[in-house]
Amino acid sequence: MPDSGYPWPIETTRLDNGLRVVVSEDRTAPAVAVNLWYDVGSRHEPEGQTGFAHLFEHLMFEGSVNVAKTEHMKLIQGSGGSLNATTNPDRTNYFETVPAEHLELALWLEADRMGGLVPALTQETLDNQRDVVKNERRQRYENVPYGDAWLRLLPLLYPPGHPYHHATIGSMADLNAADLATFQAFHSTFYAPNNAVLTVVGDTTAAEVFALADKYFGALPPRDDIPAAPDGRTVPAGGGPGVETVTTDVPAPRVYVAHRTHPFGTPGYDVTTVLATVLGSGRGSRLYQRLADGERIAQPDLVGAYGVDLAHGPAPLIATATARPGVSGDRLREGLTEVVDELATVPVTAAELDRAKALLSTMWWRQMSTVDGRADTLGRYATQFGDPARAGERLPAWLAVTAEQIAEQAAELLGAADRATLTYLPEETS
Amino acid sequence: MTLIATRPGAGAARPYRFPQVVRRSAAGGQVVAAHLPGQNLAVALLLLDGGAGREPVGKEGLGGVLAKALEEGTAQRDATAYALAIEALGTELVAGLDWDSFQVSVQVPVDRLGAAVELLTEAVRTPKLDPADVRRVRDDEATALRMDWANPGPRADAVLRADLFGADNRWGRPLYGDPDSVAALDVDDVTVFHSEWFIRPGTLIVAGDLDRIDLDALAATVFTGAGGAAPDKGGPIEVPLSERRRIILVDRPGSVQSTLRLGHPSPHRAHPDHVPMTLAGTVLGGAFTSRLNHLIREVRGYTYGIRGDFASSRRFGRFAISSGVQTAVTAPALVEAVGEVSRTRLTGVTEDELAVARSWRAGQLSVELQSPRAIASALTTLVVHDLPDDYHARLREALLAATVEEVSAAAVAHLHPESLTLVVEGDSALIRDDLVAAGLGEVVDHAP
Repeated sequence: MPDSGYPWPIETTRLDNGLRVVVSEDRTAPAVAVNLWYDVGSRHEPEGQTGFAHLFEHLMFEGSVNVAKTEHMKLIQGSGGSLNATTNPDRTNYFETVPAEHLELALWLEADRMGGLVPALTQETLDNQRDVVKNERRQRYENVPYGDAWLRLLPLLYPPGHPYHHATIGSMADLNAADLATFQAFHSTFYAPNNAVLTVVGDTTAAEVFALADKYFGALPPRDDIPAAPDGRTVPAGGGPGVETVTTDVPAPRVYVAHRTHPFGTPGYDVTTVLATVLGSGRGSRLYQRLADGERIAQPDLVGAYGVDLAHGPAPLIATATARPGVSGDRLREGLTEVVDELATVPVTAAELDRAKALLSTMWWRQMSTVDGRADTLGRYATQFGDPARAGERLPAWLAVTAEQIAEQAAELLGAADRATLTYLPEETS
Repeated sequence: MTLIATRPGAGAARPYRFPQVVRRSAAGGQVVAAHLPGQNLAVALLLLDGGAGREPVGKEGLGGVLAKALEEGTAQRDATAYALAIEALGTELVAGLDWDSFQVSVQVPVDRLGAAVELLTEAVRTPKLDPADVRRVRDDEATALRMDWANPGPRADAVLRADLFGADNRWGRPLYGDPDSVAALDVDDVTVFHSEWFIRPGTLIVAGDLDRIDLDALAATVFTGAGGAAPDKGGPIEVPLSERRRIILVDRPGSVQSTLRLGHPSPHRAHPDHVPMTLAGTVLGGAFTSRLNHLIREVRGYTYGIRGDFASSRRFGRFAISSGVQTAVTAPALVEAVGEVSRTRLTGVTEDELAVARSWRAGQLSVELQSPRAIASALTTLVVHDLPDDYHARLREALLAATVEEVSAAAVAHLHPESLTLVVEGDSALIRDDLVAAGLGEVVDHAP
């Protein structure tokens, strides 16, 4: 295995308007991945405007000065490409992978919606995509058992005013209140070249991409007063542990235990990543061995732990289990918290550590096995840490984590006083 | 103006190439491999002719239980030791099935592939299948299905499948069974299914940097001790179309969306119309700009998404549309979806739409076939459907050459709006009257 997690070339430049351009050439397949990270996410949303960053992401597919409504999708798919976009608390990313001969088309489309969205934005488009997003909320959060767990965990972990207090999907009331002027202002404020990173990975050269980037993006004006999101690095002390119990239409008791850890990209969060893998990834994990196999109180397919990779505040670590038939919510919660507590008291063995690192290595190389996976990774490191090459440090940093560090972090951060616990209980059936 | 108004044309097209395919017979079995030079990850997959189509009627879910039971210990070690051994290599054992095959695979950094394949073989060929473990896994699987069936979708899927193919047939019942069928399995069902289908050699699929992989050694690991002839695959099954369209209503009180599953039978995988039929499905419901998604999502705002496609296995196929729509607009969404199927059958596709569909399907063969996992999956298609090494290149040519006339003819031949079964899973008290009034067909309440 290479020493770096990123054994491919990386070249970067910055246009005069501040747009950062990252290129990683790889001639293996005749495809290129184009990826834009905009440094705006739901953490920038003021009260009363939750869900706006994500709704805005939808509007970016609805036409711009030289691109008709839905033509973006048609042109990319009509070139043989795949495309999508996502919004999370930290950022919004837009990406397409196309056969290499369509690179220029992809850059033209991205430039047009970066520089020319506002004149094309209509009330009709906003109303249509508002309905689409409300249906997305129904489909993903409201109409499925446990679907609102993330919406409930965030306010337990982060107090009002913290940028991670509310979920990216937003509230129905705020979505209903969204007006056109707000979205026009949102684009003018945040969708500026100096607030974005353009990454291209695959069958091209840095020289070609730099020239095309200058041609299509070079004349877009920068914005010099982009407002910062509220500072999320310190979380004010709350009133003790957050506890919520929801009795609703679910098929079995389920418990989530969550903690605030460190921001993604810090050495502390590298420890969290390995800790979460030891705790809850795979059949050899502590949660599986103890709750699904050993005591057999949890359903084997529904036990796990993971960190949520957020960089602008202490990122969440979440552990979850769902009860086997006949097991109460109380019993399950005791079992789950006991295993989490033991991370501080029962040392992680060399075998546990090796297992976690082997799984993380495979996960890393799987992300690196496609041009689109690599492009998104480079865009993240350029946006959040100022240097795409730092992507190569992540895997070695995971591999250097020690059992002592895991025990220390568990003692420091995973105590009962800092815990958010969310329990779902089935309604009594008559 | 700071933007460039003129849309750029395409550059010079790069030649399409699927990775080099290597086939060989070794140690009494067949190996099919793809060479991915420089790739750090490798995938090995054992393809067995033991898919859901091999399960006896009344024993649905057998393969799913066996998939989990393989990891409950082997002749050599117990379940915990097995989990620790395989995960220490950086992989989990991934076992799954479709109608035509059972697949077990590992994905690891290439230097660990040999060790991972040894563990894969151990689980597939010599699982312990201790009766107490099998019973527990069965109960866990039944519980897992109960959890899954609490979501919208699985019940509607099962109702549609039964109506299309007949619940008396294995292929008229859910791929993974249902909570009751799994709960009714016994230990012998599992051990007999294993001895019948999991001792035959099967085919070893490998995707990775073959300069760093010893295929003969992997074959020796997987095939030594295996035996038995390749089983008869069975011919296509004739499935009659319904004589009339009807709605089957599955009640889900309190639902804020209605889950729609519309469908009718369609040809099996080897049918000569496979390519034009796929493209007709893409125009109607596959691409983002498809007729269905454009109208129901982008114009009406009824849904987060709607899609329709033809899907096929070795012996049968189906056309289906699926979506979740806001409860209040269930009836109009259904009327408009059926309307688009009818329109596509009556008036065919346009050159503009077909251009998007063929380029997209062809381009996906380069864009989506990058990772070892994706390439391994493409190789399984070659094996399951007896296709040649250059199949993907030929498919690409066939997609790009398809004409409006051919695709429109496939729409006429294979879309049957009057024979659709329209399954609606939603809050019956709120939507039933509207569905009756919509006049799409008789409304039948599904007995819970």
